Amino acid sequence: MKTLREILFARHRTAAPKLDAIRREVLSAEFVREGRRVAVPKFRIADAATLPLLVWRELIFPCRRTWAALAAVWVLIFIFNFSQRDKAELAARKLPPPSPEAIMAWRQQEKLLAELIGPPGTTGDAERRKIFLPKPRTENAEFLAV
Amino acid sequence: MLVVAEREQLPVPQAKTGDPAAWDTLFRRYQLPLYVYVFELAHDEQTSLDLVQETFIAAVRHIGDLRDDAKFGSWLFGIAHQKCIQRWRKQKHEEILPDEFPDAPDESENRPDDLLIRQEQEAEFMQLLNQLPLPQRSTLLLHFVEDFSLEEIAGITGTAVGTVKSRLHYAKKALRKLLEEKK
Repeated sequence: MKTLREILFARHRTAAPKLDAIRREVLSAEFVREGRRVAVPKFRIADAATLPLLVWRELIFPCRRTWAALAAVWVLIFIFNFSQRDKAELAARKLPPPSPEAIMAWRQQEKLLAELIGPPGTTGDAERRKIFLPKPRTENAEFLAV
Repeated sequence: MLVVAEREQLPVPQAKTGDPAAWDTLFRRYQLPLYVYVFELAHDEQTSLDLVQETFIAAVRHIGDLRDDAKFGSWLFGIAHQKCIQRWRKQKHEEILPDEFPDAPDESENRPDDLLIRQEQEAEFMQLLNQLPLPQRSTLLLHFVEDFSLEEIAGITGTAVGTVKSRLHYAKKALRKLLEEKK
């Protein structure tokens, strides 16, 4: 006759070596690297050697599926982006060069526009500024008297 | 005779000061009971080993939260229980958690060794144990594996003492029924 405790322990006795390995691993990770720890603070600053391990264990590993999903989404975005860029480049390459008639028409339009507005910064703005310069009141009064 | 964690002289104060040898002693003492508890709930070797490791790490980091050194065992099992619950929630197994039973008679005087099993009944007994609803199984395991009191089991599982009493009563009743049938 056995108790449930005895039965359960006998069934799982084979896991003992693995549990020993886990115990040693935890103890070495928590104590050996940082020496004998006097106090056990809740938040401790990780040194440069343990930081990647800490980031992996605390940040990445617990939410590994979320990180994997995010990575997959980014990969898809990059693939989509590259495929679209290739298409645009190909489309630009496939376009035929403009005909001489079109170039002539475009130059004529450019010339016409230049005649209408004049070369930039020559007449219009400077003259307009001169006309609207504020004058002393006395000059205004003389002008009225005349 | 059962080993009762709270009556043992465990080096908890030394562990609190960061003594690795003390931690080694504590982990040696609890590694198999913790594994048994977690395995009988999770039924997966790798998951159980992972949960034991996570429990050990959490214990080292949060030992400052333990107020009563005599309750180290139930505190450690509480961490393991929470880890199991988190794992179940991730796997969306919440629907198997609730169980409703009427109030049970007081069985707090019963000892974990009041249920003795013959060798030829072991396989069937384990099969029946695994058929119990998860909260009943969890309560029964805590009672049998570490001889925790009703109050301690209530603290570990985060339930009322009355609920623990009820779960334990119905789980034992189901197991006894099997044992009587096979006699």
